[in-house]
Amino acid sequence: MKTSIKFLLLGTITLTLAFGIGAVLARSNNLPAAVASPIHPTFALLDADGIHVLESQKPISTMQTCGQCHDTEFIVSHSYHSDLGLSDYKEGSDSWDASNGLFGKFDPITNRYLSQKDDSRLDLTTPDWLMNFGWRVPGGGPAVYSRSGQPLMSLKPDAKNPEASTYDPESGKFKAWDWSKSGDIEMNCFLCHTANPNNKVRTEIIAKGEFGWANTATLLGSGVVLRTTTEWVYNDKAFAPNGELLPEYAQLQEPTNENCAACHGEIHEDPTTPLTLDACDPTQTQTATTGQVVSSQKISESGLNLSDKASLTYAWDIHAERALKCTDCHYSLNNPAHTQDKKAANPDHLTYDPRKLEIGEYLEKPNHNFARGASAQFTIAPELKGTMRRCESCHDEEAAHANWLPYTDRHMQVVACESCHIPKMAAPAYQTVDWTAIRLDGAGNTTCRGINGTSTITNLVTGYQPVLMQRTNVDGNTLIAPYNLVTSFFWTYEDENGAARPVRQADLEAAYLADGDYAADVLSTFDADADGQLSDAELVLDSESKQALIAGKLESLGLKNVHIYGQIQPYSINHNVVSGKYAVSECNACHDEDSRVTAPLTLADNSPLGVTPVFVEDSNVSFSGSIENMDGALVYQPVNRNDGTYVFGHDRISWIDWFGALAFIGTILGVGGHSTLRYLAARKRGRPEIAIKPVYMYEAYERFWHWLQTIVIIILLLTGLVIHRPDLFGAFSFRYMVTIHNTLAALLALNSLFSLFWHFVSGEIQQYIPHPYGFIDQAIAQAKYYMQGVFKHEPHPFNKTKDRKFNPLQKITYLGLLGVLFPLQGITGVLMWAVQRIPSISTFLGGLPVLAPIHTLLAWLFATFIVAHVYLTTIAGPKPLDAIQAMVTGWEDMEVHENSN
Amino acid sequence: MAKTRSYWTLGLGAVLLVVIIPLAIFWPKSAQAKDNPWDSVPRHVTHTDHKDIVQGGFVTGQEVTRACLTCHPDASKEMMVTTHFTWQSAPFDVPWREEPVTIGKANQINNFCIGTQGNEKRCMTCHVGYGWAESDFDFNNPENVDCLACHADTATYAKGEYGNPALGTDLLAAAQSVRAPTRDNCGKCHFDGGGGNGVKHGDLDESLYFPAENLDVHMGKLDFVCTDCHRTENHVVKGRMVADNYTIDPTEQVACTDCHIETPHEDARLNLHTDAVACQTCHIPAIALKDPTKTTWDWSTAGQDIGDDHYTYLKIKGSFTYERNYQPEYLWFNGNLEYRYLLGDKMDPMKPTYINIPAGSINDPNAKIFPFKLHIAKQPYDTVNNYLLQPRTAGEDGFWTNFDWPSALALGAQDTGMEFSGEYGFAETWMYWPTTHMVQPAENALQCDACHSDNGRLDWEALGYPGDPIEWGGR
Repeated sequence: MKTSIKFLLLGTITLTLAFGIGAVLARSNNLPAAVASPIHPTFALLDADGIHVLESQKPISTMQTCGQCHDTEFIVSHSYHSDLGLSDYKEGSDSWDASNGLFGKFDPITNRYLSQKDDSRLDLTTPDWLMNFGWRVPGGGPAVYSRSGQPLMSLKPDAKNPEASTYDPESGKFKAWDWSKSGDIEMNCFLCHTANPNNKVRTEIIAKGEFGWANTATLLGSGVVLRTTTEWVYNDKAFAPNGELLPEYAQLQEPTNENCAACHGEIHEDPTTPLTLDACDPTQTQTATTGQVVSSQKISESGLNLSDKASLTYAWDIHAERALKCTDCHYSLNNPAHTQDKKAANPDHLTYDPRKLEIGEYLEKPNHNFARGASAQFTIAPELKGTMRRCESCHDEEAAHANWLPYTDRHMQVVACESCHIPKMAAPAYQTVDWTAIRLDGAGNTTCRGINGTSTITNLVTGYQPVLMQRTNVDGNTLIAPYNLVTSFFWTYEDENGAARPVRQADLEAAYLADGDYAADVLSTFDADADGQLSDAELVLDSESKQALIAGKLESLGLKNVHIYGQIQPYSINHNVVSGKYAVSECNACHDEDSRVTAPLTLADNSPLGVTPVFVEDSNVSFSGSIENMDGALVYQPVNRNDGTYVFGHDRISWIDWFGALAFIGTILGVGGHSTLRYLAARKRGRPEIAIKPVYMYEAYERFWHWLQTIVIIILLLTGLVIHRPDLFGAFSFRYMVTIHNTLAALLALNSLFSLFWHFVSGEIQQYIPHPYGFIDQAIAQAKYYMQGVFKHEPHPFNKTKDRKFNPLQKITYLGLLGVLFPLQGITGVLMWAVQRIPSISTFLGGLPVLAPIHTLLAWLFATFIVAHVYLTTIAGPKPLDAIQAMVTGWEDMEVHENSN
Repeated sequence: MAKTRSYWTLGLGAVLLVVIIPLAIFWPKSAQAKDNPWDSVPRHVTHTDHKDIVQGGFVTGQEVTRACLTCHPDASKEMMVTTHFTWQSAPFDVPWREEPVTIGKANQINNFCIGTQGNEKRCMTCHVGYGWAESDFDFNNPENVDCLACHADTATYAKGEYGNPALGTDLLAAAQSVRAPTRDNCGKCHFDGGGGNGVKHGDLDESLYFPAENLDVHMGKLDFVCTDCHRTENHVVKGRMVADNYTIDPTEQVACTDCHIETPHEDARLNLHTDAVACQTCHIPAIALKDPTKTTWDWSTAGQDIGDDHYTYLKIKGSFTYERNYQPEYLWFNGNLEYRYLLGDKMDPMKPTYINIPAGSINDPNAKIFPFKLHIAKQPYDTVNNYLLQPRTAGEDGFWTNFDWPSALALGAQDTGMEFSGEYGFAETWMYWPTTHMVQPAENALQCDACHSDNGRLDWEALGYPGDPIEWGGR
């Protein structure tokens, strides 16, 4: 095509876009469900040689056909959907993960792996891989190029080359594959850009190895191409005399949710038909691994047999309900309507650079890498991680949580929005995939969580609560986010290089099966109920004899050093978001003994004996919890403290509470003993006659300061206790307690600052400073008095006056209390509050895990002090309540000493 | 000691004040207190049992009324000014007529049974009066008011020809059964309007006598009766049907906001909708949920002996279609009509003639998008004079007797004071009925994609938007 025509076309597209969008969208009402873009120009269908297909009758080449206007080379080279890990592919003897993607990375859910060049036991050759997984391959990448970058079509058939051979089930051997006969799969534009792609036939064609026709098959049913029993025939009536498709056949569109659904999972758009799905349907990849369902339908209106269904009167996904499309978040990275400026790309003073791609330029070279988050399917398309807008890019979390969520900033710093806004998954998801024993059809033993049985229609679907785990985002921030954990068990063996590899499917079948049934020795060992069949419960390698039998049989096939390997893969949950009304909003859901933060998740109901699965290493999730074995069932128990988080009401350090409680109770006991002795002594000796005179002891401000402090501290201690142990004091609202605690703490701080000022200005501060001279002697005298003199009604060794109120013990205590404990408690408290405002300072000091226990310890000491302090006031005056009364009235009855003053 | 106590209380008070004031300031504000809709729902009072009060042998309805008036002397006076009795509005001006006009069942037509004039024998079964036989009915005779229609237990009372009690009615029993009106009293006429169950409204039909929970949240789940919303004072029932009015004073109309606040949703996005979308639009996703409603009526096929079927064809009425789960049509609506067909108005037989057009547009700040039932009929018109005709049907020698259009139309013209050329045809007419019952609670209300999707139920362009306001912005 001439450049001028190209430009003309592009210009037309741009113009039509500008003027036509209004008409198109406005008219959408009258058009069929999936709206093709009526502005896409007509075009000719070309084969790989650029010859019109009506002439050549060869498969349609998307690269040639769409390449008439769009830069298809650019598109293919900017598409992870096409690449699928090919560009990352590295032959490696020590790993079964040869790449970061579908092409090369071992997926224990399917238990098939791509064989490498020198593997002695081939599992999947490239043609076999395509036939098995081709339904997930949009084309291009590994469906066109060899691992070293040669066109597959140029490879010579070679039974020994895992890229040009195929497994022959009849002979059990590998035979040569002729790429020039099968053709390759170019990137399939039709799959995502037509309204009703024929994915069923496409999948069948790929599974048969007729790769070259896969893209053409996608158009079957559109009227462009027909299929006889043996061959494909183009419908010449679909073409105009100039060879271009008639407009009604050239219907192309922006990808709809349905297009994405073809490979990614359950997306249900029809509001009138109840949604149904199969539990853990492997063709619904993201639904099977997580239970995520994208639909605007209310869960209560779906066709699933859900427990408590009537109450689930909200949509599966709020964003789907609010008419967002997949492509609204997962947009093309150079789409000028969505593109974001990278911070680093602009000079500091520039927040937005208006120099964007024109629509025509974009349409010529649309980047087919799509914005993605930073989820646990971590290795995929690593360079695209975090390119997507996140919740906070569109939502104002301050405004959204205004008036109810305390510490909004703090919560947002440590808790992903999904943790509360995806409280529960309604649909089932994989729990365990056990390939150590296989079913008769060669499949592994799969268990779904969230369903009692297998049918979502006849069995009860309970859904499940995701486990919360800490993940590290690409920007280094850590957040608690919801996950499903899929545990898989599979046999490995040692290849000739001494590297562990999964045992391939063929060997597994050879070990278990014989002539379409289980081998006799397998049956006799596994069939516990002797019914001649092996149930899923029996197909678990939970005994040494079972393991020994299979290990022996695998080794007899020539496999060395076979082992059972268990692996746990986290799957991030980011869809199925609910609005605030249905989100987790009870403080106690997390801030309590039983906390969502540490809610366990079952890994496996039954597991092979003695095998503890290990977490995958290549994720951004922190596996800081423990795996508990409960009668054969494996359970993942998160331990949030290992991630350095401290959840009020949930976390505590037990020795601090023990120590604090002992000090508190010990003091009460001490006071009790001392007072009993005093009482007994007084009874024995009688009350001595002491001359008394009232002395004005406390200024009004002192008294006000003191009592305000008293009330506030007591309330702080009580509310603090509730915040610390909401499990014991569930009657109080956690949220109100936090409010009271923070407000009164601020009041206390103000009170203290005022009084400090007053003490300085009035000089009263001097009373608190111990004078070194004679201090120790006086202190000893005072202590002796408390231990002996008080029982004998000896006079106070210290003569209290308005200017010298404190005895040496008081001085040292108050100095310690008001000078050390009090500020320390205030500082730790303020820092804990400030964690949300200035996280760096608090984090530098160890964060909440350090600050909170100190605060708790000091609180215990305060409580202890109050007991002792109140008791000692009863000793201070001639009568027990004199000192307290003095703090009220200011006037204290003092003993008259001859030598006083 | 007294001094000590005053110190105590004074000091304690001061300290507590200092503690409580900041707490009050920082106390978390719970979500803004919602007005409680129940505050506006009237309490039902136990009605005085009239069993031992009403006595005497009654032969005519008027005698019953006379008995009622002895204790309720103002009742008839109050009733006689209401449209329940007059079947006609007060005169008002319309732009297309020079003289003031009135609208009502008494003098105008619709596109169901068309008109009452000359057909009083049957139509007046629903008139709240006795003996409206011809145009000489005395509207000023207090005894002509039928108290029993609204106050008698419907198990004891029914109306017959010309609005008189049905033959064989035990009027004493009926009179002794009186109480506040129930759903049955209102339903007798309002559920069966247009000649049968659910014919006219679609949102009002006999399924509401014993409504299931999911049929209507107010009447079903909460067991409301009509008068809980259609508040009645001095026999003036609140709520006007716009099809028989031209403009309606909002104070005379029942509104959701009589009990609910303007923005009752927790979801701010939904509250933003209330500016342009009536409550009914989302909360009445469909009408005729249980019993079907008539959606088309073709009079032109009437009169044939091709076998009667209640839902498809009747010799006296022609062919119809009924629909269940009828999805409403949506129009801007400010509560008034832009146009009401008046007898004598010229029409274009080649185009559908609107019996009424709800008023409102995207530029009318008082208008909201509102759901309507659209009833489409083919009804007779004068092909020379180009106006709609009202046939005599139930009346003497009417169509239902002779099945002869020319004579039925000639008699009808006579009844309505029109000129009939003798030439007639059948023209398509459209009539809009506001949809406001069969309200669904939030769980069953429409969701976003009901409107905001490729197959949404709103035609944005027709409503005046450039496209879906999600993308193109609202008004």
